Formats: sequence, C-alpha cells, structure tokens
Amino acid sequence: MNSVIRKLQVSAMQQAAAIRRAPSCIRLPVWASMNERQYRSKPTHGIGKWKYLLPKERRKKSRDKRQIIPIPIVEATDTAYGTLNFKVSGYDMTLVEHYSQYIHKVCSRLDIKIADRYALQTKTIELMMMPDKGKKMVIDSVIKTHERVIQVQSLNTLLCPVFMEVLLKNQPEGVQLSVMEHTDAEFKARFKHRPDLEVLRTQVAQQ
Amino acid sequence: MAAPCRRMATRSVLHFLSSCSRTAARYTGSRAFFSASVCGATVQTINVVKKATGPWTLMAAVCLERLPVISADCNSVEQQFKEMMNQMELEKSVMSDHELRILADEDKRLRRQADEYDSDEEGGSKDQEILWAQDLEDIWEQNLKSFQPALRVRADVDKDLTSPERCLADSLILLAEQQVGHEKLWMLPQTQWQEGETLRQTAERALTSLPVADIPTTFLSNAPCGVYKYKLPRAIRTETSVGTKIFFFKAVLSDRAPCAAAHASFQWLKKSELQGFLKPEYLKKVNRFILCL
Repeated sequence: MNSVIRKLQVSAMQQAAAIRRAPSCIRLPVWASMNERQYRSKPTHGIGKWKYLLPKERRKKSRDKRQIIPIPIVEATDTAYGTLNFKVSGYDMTLVEHYSQYIHKVCSRLDIKIADRYALQTKTIELMMMPDKGKKMVIDSVIKTHERVIQVQSLNTLLCPVFMEVLLKNQPEGVQLSVMEHTDAEFKARFKHRPDLEVLRTQVAQQ
Repeated sequence: MAAPCRRMATRSVLHFLSSCSRTAARYTGSRAFFSASVCGATVQTINVVKKATGPWTLMAAVCLERLPVISADCNSVEQQFKEMMNQMELEKSVMSDHELRILADEDKRLRRQADEYDSDEEGGSKDQEILWAQDLEDIWEQNLKSFQPALRVRADVDKDLTSPERCLADSLILLAEQQVGHEKLWMLPQTQWQEGETLRQTAERALTSLPVADIPTTFLSNAPCGVYKYKLPRAIRTETSVGTKIFFFKAVLSDRAPCAAAHASFQWLKKSELQGFLKPEYLKKVNRFILCL
C-alpha cells in the first residue's frame, strides 16, 4: 500500500517538475491577453494600443433617405411554400405585439427563415352614439386596429401543419391570424398614394 | 396496385383556386384563418411512396380539429402570478386621460362651491359643464350591468359527445364510425385513394362523404402529418392486397356556426377521451401527431 502511494507521489512530483522546468515554452492563448491588467501608474501603460493611430471613420448621416427595396419573392417548390405573410391583427396592441414576437421566436426556434417583419398602419374607428336627449351625435369611443406582419420564406410543407397548429393553439383571445401569399400588390399597398408622381409619369409616357 | 407518382402541372391554377375556396374559411367570431391563396402556388401532388409491386391499398384520413374557443382556466400558481403582475403594473402605471379628467373635474367642483367664484374667469366652454367624467362612468356602469355574458362552461352541453360546442376550453377531434370489413369501427374519417387524384383531395372527399353536410374546414398543409400501416391477417392476405396504409391530414374547423343536425355516427372528443374509442395500435399512431398544448 505504501509503495503504491509513494509511486503516485513520485509521478506527481515529476509532472510538476516537468511543467516548471520549461516556462519559456508555454504560450498563453490569445484570449488571455485581453484580460491583462492595465498598470496605469507604470510607463508601459497603453503599450500595444494601435487603433488610435488610424483615421476616424465618420458614420453615414441618417438623414439620407433609405431606399426601400422590395424583398425578392421566393417561388414555391414541391416541398416548400414561397413567401407567406402572417398577419396578426387585433384591438389590443400589447396582445398583438406579444403574439407577433411569439411567432418570430417560434420561427427562429424551428429554423424557419424570416424575410421581413413590419407593422401596417393602425386603423381607427370612431364609435358615435346618439344620446337620449338631443340630436347631435356624440363620440362614444375610439377603437384602433393594430396589424403586424411577419414574412416567412420557404416554409417546409411537412413542418407547416405542426407549425400552424402550434400558432393556432397559442393564439390569444381577441387576436386574429391570417396567412396569405405575398404579392407585389400587397407590398405596394403599404406606400402612400403620390398623385404628383403619377402625373409626371403619365407625362413622360406620353412624350 | 402500383401507386404512380405523377406531377399535376397541367391543372390550371384557377380550377385549383376554386376547389380551394370551397374549403376556405368564412370569418366569424374571433378567429380568422387562411385565405385560399395559401395553397395557390404549390404543386398539389404528394410524393407517394413508390413500390415496385404496390400491394398496399392507400387511404387518406382527416384529423379535423375544433380549436379551443375560450382560454383555459388558470391553475392556482398562474392565478397568483397574474394577480401579482396586475398589481405591480397598476402601481407602476401613469394616469390615463379619463382619470386626469376626473381629478380636474373634482378641482372645478371644489372651486365652484367656494364663495369667491367668478364663472367668467374660467376659460372653458359651456359644453364641458354638461357632462362630468363621473357621469360618464355612471352611464358606463349601467350599460355593463345590462350586459349578460354567456356561460363559459355548460355541463349539459359538455356531456353531449356529438356536439362541437362542448368543452370550449379544449380542442376536439372528429371521430366517425365507419364500416371496415365486417365490423363498424370508430376512427378518423377516411376514404380510399383513387387513381388520378392527390392524397389531399382524397382527404377532402373523406370529409364530404360524411352524412353531415358541408363542414367548413381549412386544411393546414398539402403534406400528411402521420401514417398508419395495417397488415391483413395471413388468412386473407393475397398477392394484390397485403394491407392498407392510411395517411392522416390535419384540418381545422374554420367556422363555428352550428353544423346541421348532430349525427349519432360521429363524435367530437378530447385527446384524453380518444382512448375509449380507438383501437390501441391505431391510437398509438394517432396520438403522435395530435398536439396537446
């Protein structure tokens, strides 16, 4: 028993000695250098810094108008749908937002490719009630319909029923979900009507 | 019978869209479903397993589900958490316009009751004095009292297995009693696949062949979600028929309008109740794709 213990001790000592014997051969991994201390009072403070020597890059001014480029519509294949729009709409904004976030998370979990995610304009309905006495209609309440759209590309046909069922079963009360194919007309409907541009266009076409 | 794997590209899109719109939803209530154009662009064939000799008879079955109508009741932990979150949100919240208006009206009322009060100093128009915020609240409360919400749970409807309105908080599956061989069995509605149609069309046929007329459904996908293989006992087995393969398709009940007459030959059951009606082997395969969320 003692001899075994002694052998273990000896081998441990030998290993320790081997490590100590060649300290110059050890190379620290690259990430260790980032955790080094700064030594601010010593003259070597800041040694190794080089980024301050390069010319500074100015950020592009955000006032430049962003070009809205339509995302290319993917065609459907045998095993996958093309570009689908999941439209979530409802009166309660928190519910609509949270449900659309939930759909996004489920998609990223199941590795479904999300092309785009945007909100459509809020539609306002004013309810006017006729009071018992008097002829003038009074505004009773204002109802806003919020809509959020998630654009999904190449949804696998086999995954589709499972995915849809998960979404439908977790749909909260008061929120409607509709799934449509994405078309160019739907994309154009998001933009404002510009009559002056159309006038110019007809003029150019006539010439 | 060999099951060929053919491409249906010759069918026009219009014809397909018209057949789709029969099953597409009419939106009522709080749920709205797919439009017909979801399936518009995809090719309709399913890649049926191609066998050299093909002794299997193919059938398509429909797993028609009525989704829950109301949210399920919270259990005690969820209830406590909900109350706590509501209280926290209330304490952290800012006053709404209506509440600010109530406070402003209170101030006005106190100022009016004071002796030294000159109504000309007030800048507001005369219309504001007619309707105080408190009056509005009283009117709203009266309207609320006259509103009778429907009952969430009705015990008598829950026990009726043929009604699709039972157990509003759970999802229900449609089971039909169909003749198989010599006996009548409870199973998901199915029909046999015929030459020249896709499996999904077979599934749609299975629904329309039920004695109940026109159940509005929306199929969730062109691809099947499950399969069940049944080998005939050795005595009956021949070269041309070894057994049947049943492909299951998922569909969702899109309209909650009550279907014509409740028929005795089909039932709406929860997932836990399926055990009492389906054969064990069949049930094992079916349970795999029925989600219980």
